[in-house]
Amino acid sequence: MRYDVVIIGGGLSGLTCGIRLQEAGKNCAIISTGQSALHFSSGAFDFLNKLPDGTRVMHPLDAIKRLGGNHPYRKIGEEKIREYVADVQDWFGKSGIVLHGDVEKNHYCLSPIGIIKSAWLSFDDFEPLETADAFPYKRVAVANFAGFIDFYPRFIADALAEKGVECRIEILNIPAVEKLRTNPTEMRSANIARVFDSEAQLENVLTLINDLSEEVDAVILPAVLGLSSVYPLEYIRKYSEKPVFFISPVPPSVPGIRVQKRLQERFVELGGTFFLGDTVEKAFFDGDTVIGITTNNHSDIQFYAEQYVLASGSFFSKGIISRSNEIYEPVLNADVEYDSQRDNWFCKNVFDVQPYMSYGVKTDTGFHPLRDGVPVRNMFAIGSVLSGYNPLEEGCGSGVAILTALHVANTILISD
Amino acid sequence: MNDKDKKEYDVIIIGGGATGAGTARDCSMRGLSVLLLERFDYTSGATGRNHGLLHSGARYAVNDMESASECIKENMVLKKIASHCVEDTSGLFITLPEDDLSYQNKFIDSCLAAGIKAEAIDPKDAIRMEPSVNKSLQGAVVVPDGSVDPFRLTIANILDANAHGARTLVFHEVTGFIREQDRIVGVKVFDHKQKEQKSFYGKVIVNAAGIWGHHIAELAGVNISMYPAKGALLIFGHRVNNVVLNRCRKAGDADILVPGDMICVIGTTSSHVSYDEIDNMYVTSSEVELLLREGEKLAPSLSTTRILRAYAGVRPLVASDDDPTGRNISRGIVLLDHEQRDGLSGFITITGGKLMTYRLMAEWATDLVCKKLNNNKECETATTPLPGSRGVKEETEYSEVIPVNIQRTERYRHGELAAQIAKEDKFDHSLVCECENVTVGEVNYAFQELAADTLTALRRRTRIGMGTCQGELCACRAAGLLSHVHQCSNRAKEELSSFLNERWKGMYPIAWGDCLRESQLAAWIYNSVCGLSDYNRKEERKDAV
Repeated sequence: MRYDVVIIGGGLSGLTCGIRLQEAGKNCAIISTGQSALHFSSGAFDFLNKLPDGTRVMHPLDAIKRLGGNHPYRKIGEEKIREYVADVQDWFGKSGIVLHGDVEKNHYCLSPIGIIKSAWLSFDDFEPLETADAFPYKRVAVANFAGFIDFYPRFIADALAEKGVECRIEILNIPAVEKLRTNPTEMRSANIARVFDSEAQLENVLTLINDLSEEVDAVILPAVLGLSSVYPLEYIRKYSEKPVFFISPVPPSVPGIRVQKRLQERFVELGGTFFLGDTVEKAFFDGDTVIGITTNNHSDIQFYAEQYVLASGSFFSKGIISRSNEIYEPVLNADVEYDSQRDNWFCKNVFDVQPYMSYGVKTDTGFHPLRDGVPVRNMFAIGSVLSGYNPLEEGCGSGVAILTALHVANTILISD
Repeated sequence: MNDKDKKEYDVIIIGGGATGAGTARDCSMRGLSVLLLERFDYTSGATGRNHGLLHSGARYAVNDMESASECIKENMVLKKIASHCVEDTSGLFITLPEDDLSYQNKFIDSCLAAGIKAEAIDPKDAIRMEPSVNKSLQGAVVVPDGSVDPFRLTIANILDANAHGARTLVFHEVTGFIREQDRIVGVKVFDHKQKEQKSFYGKVIVNAAGIWGHHIAELAGVNISMYPAKGALLIFGHRVNNVVLNRCRKAGDADILVPGDMICVIGTTSSHVSYDEIDNMYVTSSEVELLLREGEKLAPSLSTTRILRAYAGVRPLVASDDDPTGRNISRGIVLLDHEQRDGLSGFITITGGKLMTYRLMAEWATDLVCKKLNNNKECETATTPLPGSRGVKEETEYSEVIPVNIQRTERYRHGELAAQIAKEDKFDHSLVCECENVTVGEVNYAFQELAADTLTALRRRTRIGMGTCQGELCACRAAGLLSHVHQCSNRAKEELSSFLNERWKGMYPIAWGDCLRESQLAAWIYNSVCGLSDYNRKEERKDAV
């Protein structure tokens, strides 16, 4: 099978790159195992929340120059990044993804356990908070669906009470959601979302929300509406008597799954080919050039392309794999940045900076992965497979995924 | 008088491990008024940090006949009184090509002399009996080993002690003793939950604090020379073997593989540690490597089985000579009457021994207490089944509204007490922990009836977070339920943080492969999505850019 570009990995980075290339007329294939970090999304894209020394970042674009030279943002360069982010909201809008926020400035949001966190661009469900200390409503009802144990109204109510908000905890009983509870494992966010894909059920929840909203300024709900489209969100927003404010439960994330789906659909609409549930096994080389790759499902038919993109993720997605004495990259055996002493991979306190989070594939400044120190000429690495940054500590996982993807797509297009 | 205000007891027991709990049960069954004080949670010391092996005694038969015969007697007792904590798996002692086959005869003779049924079988039959065993074995002996859940066992003793009127307090740390001349008459206690000092008075004080008994004795002004011997173990995320596997040779490192629940455990190492390290036992890389290397010799498939966690306990051995390994110190029971030994009356120490002989240790200690208090009542703990082991109703009586697999798990863990788990509401059977089948009802039962008011205690009572995911989502769910019980989310956040750190302590020594993948996902969920690392590092906030 022959394509212009073959992308290994169908998460945020792979899809962003693929869509950008398809838009410019390239013929791309994405090979995806089916897992994506978007399923565990916080409900927002982050760009840069903290510098490696712990300094908080409010204006991420201005902070890029303070990152180390090996950071993916420094490899792209501040000027290019400013160019990419200028129209990033419009660009995602073309995939039907509404992003709230200001590309120049971080905002705040409430985490599932009521902790205030920074975010860059929040998904449609979420209303960005301007400050860390204030909440736009004085009296709120924190509502949860009866029996849903992945959302914690008490955490949210206590956090808001500290900001001087008067909170009531309410339980919503909806017969169709009740049915899920017959099976003990079914009461999870994605299943609840499926119930509300039906308009009749949306009417039920709307009635309940309106019933309890009389004496409050706003109603808080877990963000479990709209698995495949934003229609349920729009419906509730349009017809509810008081504003409805959504907060993420713990994963799986319905807004994240929706974003993943929308990106996948957009890629396919543009003519891209998405191979779902396939795993890339090996890349074949002629010197410093990839000549083809094989996959688990297509072991007898190689994939050929002019350019290849490695967007295979970190440990969790098996983009890099650890053994007791080594860490390696399984597809091309690219050079991996890590400490050879396993004891140095970790800190004893789980909340300290964990060095293993920064491990990943080494590249040159043009994002060509290195093999024995030599750049692979026609391959690029993007997203969380990269080394040089700590996505958790710096709060820059999705930013790196999106920007390295756009940058590499650009590089490929310019090279023509 | 209200139980809460009661200050004077016949007997005060220090330590909430198996021995302390067993002593509380025995004393209360003999009609004494009992107070048990535990510094942290029940089973947080060596009781909760061992193999969970229901020894047949075979392991000690050659070198320590006394321990071996104690073991086999208690083995048979526990199978009767603690059936819901015990699995009668039977065990194999295998001889590998590198071992001396002639040891087998000596081993069998010693077992038989100690009263342990031991029968050599053809290696081919051993492979049939336990297909995971190393196929190159040269010999095999079947013994009545099994597995025991020390958490359930201890809680069952606590429940029975409570049923007989004993008062048992967790998070109550003994900080000193009240003396009248040469007599201990009471204890000073710090209540970690209420943050207050308290005093209690007892006619006899029993030191059942395991390795920490060394410190307790010091507080009383007497000296017991304990020998802290660290033992490290690994848990695998799959029940590789159904029969306990041992090496038929002189007891050494990592030569026992015990199945339990859905997992199996390899251990142990044995190394001397200094007394000031005992509260912070970390498993080192070299211990992990040794356990893996030796474990694979027992069951080769361990090399491809995911490791769930590493942990270590400290054996409360009483030092007798300069043995650097601690293996030659007797595992026998040590009962010290400080009145006779040190001229200090009202104070006794029960230590040494092992989980297997906790009941016998409790019986000895209680006999001595009773002698001092002129109580003639006989010990009945060897014949009276524990709560949970008093007979579960037949399968036909499963409720129709709850999935049968959940009811089975609840009965497996709690025996007939599973009937107390709320089932009326559908909410009660929502699953909190999918790996271990723990429901909201079981969690609430543990909160209310089993003195679990921390997440770590909840884990010990229900196995929540003990499965393959090591608490990835269930920890957060349980924290949500806890915030509801305490009506306080800050405490739940603290609990969640310490629970995750406790889990990590057992994961980072073996964090590669799937364990590292799981750790990364958990870190993503708790730190990135929930913001828990920011919460734990509030003070570090620096100026903004």
